[in-house]
Amino acid sequence: MTTASTAAPTAEVTEIDATARCPLLLLLGFALLWLLVSGALALVNLVQLTTPTFAAACPVMTYGRAQAMQESAFIYGWAANAGLAVTLWILGRLSGAPLRSLNWTTAGAVFWNLALLLGLVGIATGDATVHGWIQLPRYVLPLLLVAYGAMAVPGVLAWTGRRQDTTFASQWYGVAALFLFPWLFSIAQMMLVFFPTRGVLQPLIAGWFVQGAWTLWLAPLMLAAAYYLLPKISGKAIRHYEFAALSFWTLLFVGAWTGGRHFVGGPIPAWVATVAGVSCALLLFHYIVVALNLGGAFRPAGSTVLWFVGAGLGAYLLGGVLDAVTSIRGVAMITQFTHFSTAQTQLAVSGAFSLTLFGAIYFLVPRLTGRAWPSLSLIRGHFFAALLGTAALVLALAVAGLIQGREQNNATVEFSAIAVHVKPWLLVATAGQAVLLIGNLLLAVHLLRAVCPFRQAATAPATFRQPPTMEASVS
Amino acid sequence: MKNGLTFFLGLFLALALAFTGIVLGSHAQLGNLAPYYDENEGKAFPERMPGIAARGQLVYQDLGCAACHTQQVRRPDFGSDKARGWGDRQSVARDYVSQAAVQLGDNRVGPDLATFGSRPLAVDADRLAKYLYEGHGGMPGYPFLFADRKIVGERAANALNVPAKPGREIVPTPRAVALVAYLQSLNNAYEYPEARPVEPEAEKKEGGK
Amino acid sequence: MSDQLPPDPRLEQAGASDESLLAVHEKALGKKPEDGAHYRLLPLMLLFVFSGLIFYAGTYLNHFSGHYSAAIFNENAHPAKAGAVAKVDPLVLGKKNYDLVCTTCHQATGMGVPGVYPPLGGSEWVNGSDERLIRIVLYGLKGPIKVKGADFGAAAMPVFGQVAGSGYNWSDEKIAAVLTYVRQSFGNNSPAITAEHVSAIRAKEGDRKEWSQEELLKIP
Repeated sequence: MTTASTAAPTAEVTEIDATARCPLLLLLGFALLWLLVSGALALVNLVQLTTPTFAAACPVMTYGRAQAMQESAFIYGWAANAGLAVTLWILGRLSGAPLRSLNWTTAGAVFWNLALLLGLVGIATGDATVHGWIQLPRYVLPLLLVAYGAMAVPGVLAWTGRRQDTTFASQWYGVAALFLFPWLFSIAQMMLVFFPTRGVLQPLIAGWFVQGAWTLWLAPLMLAAAYYLLPKISGKAIRHYEFAALSFWTLLFVGAWTGGRHFVGGPIPAWVATVAGVSCALLLFHYIVVALNLGGAFRPAGSTVLWFVGAGLGAYLLGGVLDAVTSIRGVAMITQFTHFSTAQTQLAVSGAFSLTLFGAIYFLVPRLTGRAWPSLSLIRGHFFAALLGTAALVLALAVAGLIQGREQNNATVEFSAIAVHVKPWLLVATAGQAVLLIGNLLLAVHLLRAVCPFRQAATAPATFRQPPTMEASVS
Repeated sequence: MKNGLTFFLGLFLALALAFTGIVLGSHAQLGNLAPYYDENEGKAFPERMPGIAARGQLVYQDLGCAACHTQQVRRPDFGSDKARGWGDRQSVARDYVSQAAVQLGDNRVGPDLATFGSRPLAVDADRLAKYLYEGHGGMPGYPFLFADRKIVGERAANALNVPAKPGREIVPTPRAVALVAYLQSLNNAYEYPEARPVEPEAEKKEGGK
Repeated sequence: MSDQLPPDPRLEQAGASDESLLAVHEKALGKKPEDGAHYRLLPLMLLFVFSGLIFYAGTYLNHFSGHYSAAIFNENAHPAKAGAVAKVDPLVLGKKNYDLVCTTCHQATGMGVPGVYPPLGGSEWVNGSDERLIRIVLYGLKGPIKVKGADFGAAAMPVFGQVAGSGYNWSDEKIAAVLTYVRQSFGNNSPAITAEHVSAIRAKEGDRKEWSQEELLKIP
């Protein structure tokens, strides 16, 4: 039972990939650069947690500034660049035509990354604004917004100009991410930085922005990649695909309400945290359907890309459950204001998002360059380093957070003793971050080798076999 | 989802609904929150920060102090903030209405600072400055907030009581002075009506104190 | 699935073309559930799970919404009912203001200064007619007065009420609190004064100048 497309089977690699080559490799290059910068800064941060005096005398490296820099480099450097590269490519492929106006992406990418560099220098010299995920100085924020708009142009054109009338889940998630982030970002800029609201409305809106940037931007970017890669590689249709749309709209409509989950017991009216907690619970429906849809990624069957996707998916699902659990008041009382929240963030961005995107990069780059990856052991090395590093980082931070939370709530424990008790776990987290950084370094080196024109002899030209037509039957 | 317009409308609606509900909703509730005028005290609370403290808040912000210190006290039966001496009542929205940039913070690597100004540690500005210079507990020192300069004539009155090279003294820069003033100004002891504790099982609250 | 080419893990081969991927999934959207218990049960189960989540969400929201009030930060709190604003203890409020203002003349002991400032403890003016006492504080008093048998030649009690010429503009609640405190301290033990009573007198008298002893004694 094959579908109608048997008439003119297309080659796996076409001009869709060839035209996108330079702009997308540029985005990926920037992405990996920032990933390394952010990883190194995160390492500094973790060392400072156990050895507070480390680099403390250096004004550009106070814990707070290093933290703001590593977060900004990660979100706006790695996640934005890599997410856009992969999503643009997927949107182009599914539209059935080469991406148009890619010059906008190139120009946008240059300005975006220059603005980010300027922003990091600004943070280092004391111009940071105060709210999470939007700590970049005010003077680079409008530039980032404009540059993002420019970078997203080909994606929008690919959506509006798609050949087929039919759409696929990857396209929904990708387009949603492209459209929703600029709105969120501009609202946050206006209400937090340029015309700041009064009092606690600031942290409230910042919390809403952070959760929105995750559920409406980064998570959709990651899901766009996962929904594409799994059926594309396995050659099997997604199971229970008929629920995918419901799950998509659940994420969008409910996810945007989870913004207040950090304010349990805080100086913000109680209903905000309650509504957020309830939304986190409702969002479980989305996670259940994603698990049903993409469960196949847990059986990678020799596909290295699906190893990454499976690991990322696992982190995504676990993160969803943890969000719901920690937004319950009794649990939040222990986990809030501790390293446990950091562990949750890391599980989402370093686990779910990064691991999935790594998989996408391993799938995408040979198609862009027309050459296979030079070394299998580097890919495997990266996988195990990334998996081990992320797992150690997240687990150790979570355990440290639980200890920290329990002891903070027990006034008989001296406050200064808490730091001593969590120190071993923070050392484990530091080691995890170091392993993660080494793994990401492997990817960067590997990518450099794959695209370096002088090393072409070392890499085999990629021969892509004619992709078979997907069977309609689901298994 | 063949219809692009419906799809786009759905996207728009998803964000617009949450924006209306959470951002505009809370803005309608709290956007005009005013300081509370207490007739008996003849003053409005929270009191305005002195100018030097407001400048100190900028230093607090640019050094990223909020990465390790929260500024929100939880109510006495939720966690042990009261038992740790961080504040007798829960922080409420009104505590923050006069602050330019609200930094609630999200990790307590160090203690909560919402009522820091009322603690013994904060009373002596010189000692506080010394802690900022040398570090205290788990907190590292921030020597770049201080100037190491030659003593000209008399030793400066605000020179730190720390070891220095002969003929030299350590004095706080204006940023350090502002930061100390800001830390000393952190105090929200005033009991707003909405901050009063809730008695467990039904309301049998009378008498206030 | 079987591989036609020797598998090279460094190069991920595609298992399906993009066109067929789109086509198959588009078809899946419209398809009826297939036969077989597994597929017919799943939508039902999902519906069950979704309803369960909504039920939990509704219950949680119902319990901890804090009535969507801007002034409720503790989810267990109930909104303050109109008029049921938590009252401050009048003795506490009264003492605070007495210590702030009244002590200057009447002293912390409430015994005044012989010959200059009349005492409050054991005073017949304080413990006697509340009509007179309230009027003194509201509008002030000028001229000679006799307290506890001693003459005070030139008393000058300032105007405290929210009336013309007042330097203090104390609210009726505050005056009531201070008077209650005075009537129940310094060895006094007289009934409390209510804010309503103060308001009533202020409304009745309107604006006027300070009282004298003679005028006051005409009042019951």
